[in-house]
Amino acid sequence: MAAWALGWALRAARQVLPSPCTRQARSYYVDWRMLRDVKRRKLAYEYADERLRINAIRKNTILPKELQEVADKEIADLPRDSCPVRIRNRCVLTSRPRGVKRRWRLSRIVFRHFADHGQMSGIQRAMW
Amino acid sequence: STSSVLSTEKDESTASKDSTAEVTSKSQEGTPETPKQKLLDLIGNMKVEVSYRKKLQQLKTREIKKQATNKLEGPDSEGSVLQKTAEDTQRGKPLNPELVEAASAVASSLPVNKKQTESELLAQLRRHEETTDRQKRGGTINIRNVISEMAVKRQSPAQRGVRRSNRISLELDEDGQTIKPDRFVMKCCEILNIIFIFVYRSLKVGRRLNIFTKASTETENALKTVSSPTIWDLEFAKEVAAITAQPPRNGFEEMIQWTKEGILWEFPIDNEAGMEDDAEFHEHIFLEKHLEDFPKHGPIRHFMELVICGLSKNPYLSVKQKIEHIEWFQKYFEEKKEFLQEI
Repeated sequence: MAAWALGWALRAARQVLPSPCTRQARSYYVDWRMLRDVKRRKLAYEYADERLRINAIRKNTILPKELQEVADKEIADLPRDSCPVRIRNRCVLTSRPRGVKRRWRLSRIVFRHFADHGQMSGIQRAMW
Repeated sequence: STSSVLSTEKDESTASKDSTAEVTSKSQEGTPETPKQKLLDLIGNMKVEVSYRKKLQQLKTREIKKQATNKLEGPDSEGSVLQKTAEDTQRGKPLNPELVEAASAVASSLPVNKKQTESELLAQLRRHEETTDRQKRGGTINIRNVISEMAVKRQSPAQRGVRRSNRISLELDEDGQTIKPDRFVMKCCEILNIIFIFVYRSLKVGRRLNIFTKASTETENALKTVSSPTIWDLEFAKEVAAITAQPPRNGFEEMIQWTKEGILWEFPIDNEAGMEDDAEFHEHIFLEKHLEDFPKHGPIRHFMELVICGLSKNPYLSVKQKIEHIEWFQKYFEEKKEFLQEI
């Protein structure tokens, strides 16, 4: 049990390859929720085509209804994490689920912090 | 008589062409000098030509009158040239004795091998005459107009562009004859051609300097006898890469590094970077040929036609992806065939 947990922890901690960069290097995901979100994104990418095709059969008025029911069952059989609806756009640095600006993928607090230090390109304090 | 004239024209032109080739080859074979000397000769010849241009023009005008008489005469005028007499007999048109005298005078004035320069000068003059003869017989030319036009060009090529064209058009209108205005250009091209052939051949002929030794052809053995590179090799390669990859000294090097990694795009921005769609538009749009395995009638066909319509309008997918979509549907409906037949 302990060994399994340890293994899991090791797998969770994804090491970044040593590179000669002086920036802040993040070797781990911020928290487990972020990890789960990453898994969901990967699965959604894998099953995207299949989901698209099965949905094309389902959302149809031409094909017989029995076929569509079968397609319903098939799509329900796919892994739950493969649907894109379960993805949450979290902040990349703090994993905050709310208050995230999509363009920068940052939460409002982090964004403000960087913008005030002049580290956001093209961002300026509004004044009018 | 016109047909006979034309045939003679052709024969003479071919003969003259052959003789020019012969002349050039002979002039080069006869000089066992260094290429530099040959070039000097050529340049000397060129100078002679430039200075004697006007004289040549006068001589040409005279030759028009003498043409009929000279055609039948034999080769008696040249006594100094030994090699070229045979060729002259072939052509049947001797050089003007004044020209020959002028050539000999020039050759004597130049410091280099005199007989050689003389022969080469005469060869050049002959070539000029050939071109003029060819042009004369080829069409109706008023040589005086052409010469005047050439003179005008030499003096002020830049300024009188418009006026020149007007003059040429006026000349055309007045004479009602076809003038070949590219005679000057042709001559320049010929001269340049001669020079290039000369230099090219001289480069080939010269003896080797033995500065560079030919690299021994290394037989390329298999890259590695081992099937895959060992771990130690990989580690070594990584170490070398880590050591050689110094941190960028300035912003430019940083940008170069980023571009290599793919972080920074290449400028000017290529809209199709990373997109290698080699397929033509008709492969994207006309997808009906993939529908052959489907039944012709029924709801499935209707459905697939809609699918194809949608795919043909999609610019973001590659042809491969579209075909994959259609094939997946095909497989799906194959599996559901029995189920569908129950319905």
